[in-house]
Amino acid sequence: MARRVAVVAGGHSKFGKRYDATMRELCAEAYKPIYDVGITQDKIDASVLSYAASQFTGQGAGSALMADYIGMQEKPHLRVESACTTGTASLRAAWGMVAAGLYDVMLVMGVEQMNRVSSATATEYMSRAGDMRWEYPYGISFPAFYALMASRYMSEYNMPHDVLAQIAVKSHHYGAQNPKAHLPKEVSFEEANNAIPICRPLNLYDCSLITDGAAAIVIAAEEKVKQFTDRPMWIKGIGAGASENMIQDRPTLTSIPGAKRAVKAAYKMAGVKPEDIDMAEVHDCFTIAELIAYEDCGFAAPGKGREIVENKENYHTGRIPVNCDGGLKSKGHPLGATGISMTYEVMKQMRGEAELKSRQIKDVKYGLVHNVGQSGQFVNVFIYERGW
Amino acid sequence: MAEKKELYLGYTTDKAITPFMQSFLEHLDQGRLMKSKCGKCGKEYLPPRQHCQKDMSECTLAEVTERDAKLYSYVIVDFAPESLSSRQPYVVAIGQFPSGLKLTAHITNLMSLPEVGMKLKLGFDKSPDGKMVTYRWLV
Repeated sequence: MARRVAVVAGGHSKFGKRYDATMRELCAEAYKPIYDVGITQDKIDASVLSYAASQFTGQGAGSALMADYIGMQEKPHLRVESACTTGTASLRAAWGMVAAGLYDVMLVMGVEQMNRVSSATATEYMSRAGDMRWEYPYGISFPAFYALMASRYMSEYNMPHDVLAQIAVKSHHYGAQNPKAHLPKEVSFEEANNAIPICRPLNLYDCSLITDGAAAIVIAAEEKVKQFTDRPMWIKGIGAGASENMIQDRPTLTSIPGAKRAVKAAYKMAGVKPEDIDMAEVHDCFTIAELIAYEDCGFAAPGKGREIVENKENYHTGRIPVNCDGGLKSKGHPLGATGISMTYEVMKQMRGEAELKSRQIKDVKYGLVHNVGQSGQFVNVFIYERGW
Repeated sequence: MAEKKELYLGYTTDKAITPFMQSFLEHLDQGRLMKSKCGKCGKEYLPPRQHCQKDMSECTLAEVTERDAKLYSYVIVDFAPESLSSRQPYVVAIGQFPSGLKLTAHITNLMSLPEVGMKLKLGFDKSPDGKMVTYRWLV
């Protein structure tokens, strides 16, 4: 039987266009709050670096740089990569090592610095995560994959773009209240619905941001947890899933098959149901992705996700608060940091530590993180339980 | 032995052309779209694969004779990856043949906005120098 493992501390850099820092300074910024609560380097056995795409900076072997810069040069480290799920894949790897007894305490650091290249170049790099032989030669960018889902979804369920714009309005409403967010500003429905097109039917406000930033958490085995906190967030359920590599080969474009598999496995391991979840951080790389996530996570029936949006059930006082930190859309999406940032947000909400009461979710016992890589080739879902 | 013709697929490419791809491209250059078929289990693949997904058996190329399809989904790419920025905006479509096989390609002759379910016809195209060859959808 594996040991129980909990998240015991976290830290988060400012997300944005961070021309004032490189990945090393961003990692230090994310580790500092963890050090400040007494989890010094000598108390951490090993680390995993979540760093999705070295081509943005050119820095190879990033885990060595990170570990050295934050004073853990003598502690074992490794790097994990699986597109936008790199953060939760790193956490999954670290969880396995702690649960198995290899280490007692591990640091999971997520970082990405994407603004060292132009937006067009960043779009180029991300498009190469599609099939280089059959998709890349047709210029299918990262937004284009999700636009293919959006076109199909909007046609099958006769849904107007207005619904997606309402999701963007909600994301920016909460991003405006998050001091770590990349684009902390409110947007109106009219702005969100009529913005310049990026990949029709998706426009500028349907798309997440090209962001620099880092986030870190520390996980510990049950026997060690009390040394660090009296408010542990237990890792209750983990599910992972995958989908066909080429998007045309998927059996549906109105759902992410790998996400449904990951969600099912996570609920089973945690022994909870969708109605038990008090808040969710879902992978809203595009507004359509958030809508589909409502359905894949079991918060709404297929085709009914729009009801959550139209009834504002996804706000912090609603039935199922989603992305009340601004999400990837407004907080930002530094690929390797994203899954860790989502986890950090669940911990903050569970502890009642949101910066403003106007985004604090009440009484969170169970939180869910849904992290998708590329267009669904990778999915990790974590369910957390309040431990106090 | 005849010299191999220099051919690439689509509008931008990584130029990693294997013998299998060379054969596919030579057919495409002659106006033939090829799928592949596993010699063991008979499973068909479009676009073609050299190896069967099930047991890695070698597949052989076979011509796709269907020409009519329906639009399964589309995107109008207004902001393209750097390598295709000179073509933007362009329309990428997933078309589905009556057999169920799907193909992802550009629609190149649209005069109005695309609609899911609209009729498509398979076509072919090549660059002025003849090196870049592709299948495409026409309305």
